[in-house]
Amino acid sequence: MSVVSNKLAASPTLKPHKSADMFSKLVKLSPRFLLALLILPVIGGLISVLLPAFGYAPVLEHTTLGLHGFTMLMQTPGLTHMVMLSVGSGLISTLLAFTITLMILAAFFNSPWLNRIQRLLSPILVIPHAAAAIAVGFLIAPSGMISRLVSPWFSGWELAPNGMFPHDAFGISIILGLTLKELPFLLLIALGVLAQPELGKKLRQQHKVALNLGYCPMTAFFKVILPSLYPLLRLPILAVLAYASASVEMPLILGPNTLPTLAVAIMHWFNDVDLNLRIKASAGALLQLVLTGGLLALWLGGEKAIKALFSDLLTNGEREYGGVYWQKITTVLTVFVIGFILLSLIGLIMWSVAGFWRFPAALPEQLTLLHFKSALMQMQNPLFNTLAIGLVTTLFAIIITLLCLESEQLSAKPMSRFTSLIIYLPLLVPSIAFLFGLVWLQQLVNNQAAFFNVVFTHLLFVLPYVFLSLASSYRRLDPRFAHVAASLGATPCKVFLQVKLPQLFAPILIAAALGLAISFGQYLPTLLAGGGRIATITTEAVTLANGASRRTSAVYAIMQMALPLIGFILAWVLPKYFFKSAHR
Amino acid sequence: MQSSLEIKNCELYRQNQQLLSLNEQVKGGEILTVMGPSGSGKSSLLNWLTGTLPSGFSANGEVWLNGENINNLPAHLRHIGVLYQDALLFSHLSVSGNIAFAMPKGNKKQRLEKIEHALEQVGLKGMANRHPDNLSGGQQARVALLRMLLSEPKAILLDEPFSKLDTQLRVDTRELVFSQIREHKLPAIMVTHDHSDAEAANGKLITLNLAK
Repeated sequence: MSVVSNKLAASPTLKPHKSADMFSKLVKLSPRFLLALLILPVIGGLISVLLPAFGYAPVLEHTTLGLHGFTMLMQTPGLTHMVMLSVGSGLISTLLAFTITLMILAAFFNSPWLNRIQRLLSPILVIPHAAAAIAVGFLIAPSGMISRLVSPWFSGWELAPNGMFPHDAFGISIILGLTLKELPFLLLIALGVLAQPELGKKLRQQHKVALNLGYCPMTAFFKVILPSLYPLLRLPILAVLAYASASVEMPLILGPNTLPTLAVAIMHWFNDVDLNLRIKASAGALLQLVLTGGLLALWLGGEKAIKALFSDLLTNGEREYGGVYWQKITTVLTVFVIGFILLSLIGLIMWSVAGFWRFPAALPEQLTLLHFKSALMQMQNPLFNTLAIGLVTTLFAIIITLLCLESEQLSAKPMSRFTSLIIYLPLLVPSIAFLFGLVWLQQLVNNQAAFFNVVFTHLLFVLPYVFLSLASSYRRLDPRFAHVAASLGATPCKVFLQVKLPQLFAPILIAAALGLAISFGQYLPTLLAGGGRIATITTEAVTLANGASRRTSAVYAIMQMALPLIGFILAWVLPKYFFKSAHR
Repeated sequence: MQSSLEIKNCELYRQNQQLLSLNEQVKGGEILTVMGPSGSGKSSLLNWLTGTLPSGFSANGEVWLNGENINNLPAHLRHIGVLYQDALLFSHLSVSGNIAFAMPKGNKKQRLEKIEHALEQVGLKGMANRHPDNLSGGQQARVALLRMLLSEPKAILLDEPFSKLDTQLRVDTRELVFSQIREHKLPAIMVTHDHSDAEAANGKLITLNLAK
């Protein structure tokens, strides 16, 4: 009896409302679900790829552990060249993109040009890597735009020369393609950071103070802004470096064919008819993992070294480093970069409508819509797949992201640094290293659900971008709206659906457009997870780029760019008509 | 030659609407006080003087510093020091780092000695290695003052520099700033809302009116 009365005395007198409980429970579980969703497939995929490297592949009747795979790998002719190509092209392109980004920021920091450059480069972001590679390939090919523009009046070429681009053995084409694609990305991320209201204002004021103290604008940027800006750029830069060293689409379209980069070679080995090559491929994947990890460590180490070496420089009072000279160089560089990008896009468009176009004419002699018409007839299935996969993946990604961000606010605790790091996980681990394993696991579970498998795999790559895009807008919501709504009796669920979401309509659409763009551009995940059964615009484009007519390639590349663009246009237009916010 | 800051026939426009018109000379050691309601162009005047006028504003007139026309000089070559409302100390540098940043090039040891000496004079002895975010508002204001003074400016502009300080701190910091201005005989222009600031400055007072 005393036990019962004790219990009654000790128990709380109120029970939480049932429906609010369900929503809150769902929200509370979301971060853990997100973590599981990101970590398990990547780790699981890694393990499934790496085990065969050590000889454990029951499917091939190898069950003894050993270093057989590595021996095969080491004996591959030209392995050193492949490794050097991967490492070199990755590191050089990232360094170039990073340096030019900094120079552009420093030279144009106070000038209205920065805004103009931002608006010019923003649409470039949504171009998938494959389309960008195709465009760049057309630009530097022997009969491409550049040689046409300088022939025959400058170069004296009447016929297309034997050129080494784009499939040159030194990877210069790869470096060019990667740099042109990653430069806008890094620049726009930096501008996004600077656009944050408090941080941006503080940094601009500090830049002004440095100017007043006698520092020329470029020096002021490097000595005052960069130290505060860099930590916020670190993860995106590492993601760029990881991608550049392990990407498949770029080297496949722009790189040499006989001795490709390591990632491309691994892909060929995995796809080879001889199943025993899988062991070698797994060993190769481990090597790729080590290489990318090594590059990331090298970058972080380099960061520390520069910090140590140059910390004295910050306060030595030196104000002029030939600022005017560097400003001119940067202007020239910027013009070159934008010129290259525009030229490759123009070239692409012209190829897609070109009839007869003999070298060295700069413009096609005939224009025709035939290519578009025939491509569009064949495109229906891939187009449908692309859209379906994109929409389902993005929908999932948005829902999970919103729930996780809501949980952050309901628990009043910001997300741990661990979670923020894990968000980047699929972007930092080379996809060639875990995708094959993941696909193998998916086949184990269910090998008929190709669509589901593809969506699941796409989700891994779409989630980080959708999350990063939505997070800043969500966190900037005035918490007082939620407090007021609660004081008026609204449950957390109602607050979420009727107060927060409508306010976030525009950011949600932008994040959705971004997610769609990422999904539309995926190559390897679609190819592998779908078992080759699901064709999307991107998979078709890559296949065509290495084989068929240039004109059909161009049409597919343009489709690849048009689809995300439509998404962004919708994201821009719809908020003007629905859920109009007070700002408009 | 005595130092002086001259504003010759300055007409300031915001989007083609005239904000103010000014013709003044400030001698070394004197403080010109400019007062007026928000939107009357006080901060824009200071921006024009330092060469950092934002887009949307335009101006006629000339700035003459110590007998030289500095109108065509870019902002970083004008040698005009500014103190703002916020101390705006660089958070990636320590206190001594902030001050060293402002000083001209020189022997490292000498610069450090100079910094230590300066910190002691304003009552911040031993704080050279502190992080600026850990200082109180008044301490930050004093470090900002040192940073500006040790950059050896030829003129000083004050943009409501005491408005974020509480009353007693305000009086003390104001005295410190003004005594330094008088000691170094630098021409100074101060923008403020506070009449007691104007009285303590003991110089000419100009009141701007809102543009009609």
